[in-house]
Amino acid sequence: MSDILGAVVDVLTAVCFVAGALFAFIGALGLHRLADTRSRMHAATKPATLGVALCALGAALQLTSPSDVTKVVVIVVLQLVTSPIGAHMLGRSVGDK
Amino acid sequence: MKSVETVTLVVLAFAAVLVVARVVRRSSLGDRAVALDTLSAVITCALLVGASRADDGLMLDLAVVLGLMGFLTSVTVARFIESRKDDQ
Repeated sequence: MSDILGAVVDVLTAVCFVAGALFAFIGALGLHRLADTRSRMHAATKPATLGVALCALGAALQLTSPSDVTKVVVIVVLQLVTSPIGAHMLGRSVGDK
Repeated sequence: MKSVETVTLVVLAFAAVLVVARVVRRSSLGDRAVALDTLSAVITCALLVGASRADDGLMLDLAVVLGLMGFLTSVTVARFIESRKDDQ
């Protein structure tokens, strides 16, 4: 029973990691290809945040110690709180030329 | 499991190369700040995958510090751009 559970957790982790890395890659690709600063910001902030959240979910499924899992939660909350604030300030400063 | 994590790290490395190309290429200061913000998110992803790969909590501490540093960097650059605009 615990073998099956371990396999399910491993598969879920693999899906989370691959999806998170693909989202981060799509964000980087958009940063590279899109035309102006604001559309690049759109490509950069949202998929990157989702990528961090998915990678964190995968890592939290694999890590064993509770303090490590708490750190993962701290990382995700930090990313979710700081990313919009930084993007907002940058967007305001880049905005009207 | 290790092989999946290795593939993930390779994909993240390609993403980091794309972002660094945007930073190095001739582009505006705001573009570079956005790109560096994205780079810190990509490195955070890689640190999370690496922490799971090595079962090592140290990398998570690094990711927390990197998140704070990335935020402070983008806010500082944004304020710098604002102040430079006021001078003109």
